[in-house]
Amino acid sequence: MEFVVEEGKLVHEECSTLILPALSIGNVGQLAVDLLVSSTAAERVGYLDDLNLLPCVGNDAYGPLPCGDIALPLEVYESSSTATTLAQQRSPVAKGMMIKFAENIAEFAASNGKKDVIVLASLDFQRLHNLDLSRGPQVYYLSNTESDGRDDHCERLGFGRLGEYDPEGRCWKYLSSVFDKNNKEELSFPSEDELEDIDYYPSLPFAALFSAFKARGLKVTCLLCYCSEGDNIPDAFLLAEAASKLTGLTPDKFHGEEGGKWRIPYSWKSMYGAPPDMSMF
Amino acid sequence: MEDVLTENPPPSRFFQEDLNNFTPSPEPPLPSPFIVFSNPKPELPLKPSLLIIALSSPSLHIFHSCLPSKTLIGTLIIPELPFSGNTVEPSLQDKSCNIYSLSDNNNKNSVLLVSVQLPVSPERSNLVSRLLIGQDIVPERVIILDSIQSRNFRGRLSPDEALTAKLETSSEKKAAATSRLNLDYFPSGSVIDGLSASLLSRCQLKNIRGTLVVSWPEFDPSVVRFVGGLLKSIVPGLDIKSVGKDLEMYSSRSGLKKDAWLDSDLYT
Repeated sequence: MEFVVEEGKLVHEECSTLILPALSIGNVGQLAVDLLVSSTAAERVGYLDDLNLLPCVGNDAYGPLPCGDIALPLEVYESSSTATTLAQQRSPVAKGMMIKFAENIAEFAASNGKKDVIVLASLDFQRLHNLDLSRGPQVYYLSNTESDGRDDHCERLGFGRLGEYDPEGRCWKYLSSVFDKNNKEELSFPSEDELEDIDYYPSLPFAALFSAFKARGLKVTCLLCYCSEGDNIPDAFLLAEAASKLTGLTPDKFHGEEGGKWRIPYSWKSMYGAPPDMSMF
Repeated sequence: MEDVLTENPPPSRFFQEDLNNFTPSPEPPLPSPFIVFSNPKPELPLKPSLLIIALSSPSLHIFHSCLPSKTLIGTLIIPELPFSGNTVEPSLQDKSCNIYSLSDNNNKNSVLLVSVQLPVSPERSNLVSRLLIGQDIVPERVIILDSIQSRNFRGRLSPDEALTAKLETSSEKKAAATSRLNLDYFPSGSVIDGLSASLLSRCQLKNIRGTLVVSWPEFDPSVVRFVGGLLKSIVPGLDIKSVGKDLEMYSSRSGLKKDAWLDSDLYT
């Protein structure tokens, strides 16, 4: 993976917190990063070029009006006022290459001075076993602060620890071993036929990213929410809000519309296609 | 009517295997694509002032039917794609990716044309684009001609209303306005994927002037005329035979079907 700095741009070393999405149901992580980039007025500083990422291009996603600035599959933004780097991924990883991709992006983070990493992702609502509606939509987390995934700061913020995380589970151990260059133990690649329900969480892209960043010695926190496919904008707001709380972003750091916190990206206007043809009425 | 249970999900949603770390990678790994140049082998890398890459049916039609002065100088080989059914002389019906030169007396390879007549999968696009831009060929400027993919377009596409748009690299945006193509930008919120996206990305990463022109519908005489006029404006000395001739015969039967990679190789 090559980090290509855009011509005329500088990379700021103080932007040591990296926020990025993991591919997940409803594209929630990607939508949340869209919101954060748009609302913090983060500036694009470069691109990440990886052979394992499928190609796509588009017009400027953020606006306020699209000016023809080309958008690439994996872009790096910086918000120097919030000391945050944001990476936005717009296209899927080639089939079977997720682990390699995670290794590459962890290498980028480690060699570019990132210290804290926040991964935003969503989980399939059908997998949620203990539904508690009394507290409203819940954000879950997984951290490498403690070996069981726990982190005091996340607990104080009211996030729920991902109880299904089992570092001794077969697939979690495999992920740890594959990214740990010092690991001598040879664990076999779990075949799709052998996967069981408990293997759902470590099979997801966020788990590969978590394990890869952890192996590089970076502090990593995954923020997760359960959702179904559909209108996932509310889920994106939930995760973006959680990320802003976790990183201590105060409202004055945002450039929302009409004095509010959030600025809706221009590209969201056509998210669900063209409006209906009114001439039929 | 398509079956909602088996129909492909819209492209913004994922297949299960897209979200599975343990999906195996293809075995055995495929050999890399490569370019074979004709004899005598030119001095590499080639450094054309302009590289024009045709992927859309209208542009392929123009390349083959209306540009008699081109010279075949090489071909890009994708090892997993068979040659069966291809003719000895280049033909619009071949599954090939030929490279042509439009030479003038002063500069032998000043303008190169690439005629992409084979289905390049998204997984192989990055390797192909590296070959065409930045390895054996290092162009000063790139024009890519493709069709709008309705599955990725968030606006309304009418089958009887032509639409053209562009995306361009930062270098192209900074160039003199008179040298740039006068087209509306592709709307924000819609995306272009596949080989044309990989080619334009490559231009952006390499800081090369690049423009991707997309048109709709895929098979339409007005689009063919538009592409002919566009090529004439980019390369004024281009010898384009009358583009309007026999256009009424132009149809999906003469063009290349977009999902050609789904076609069976049993019948060649």
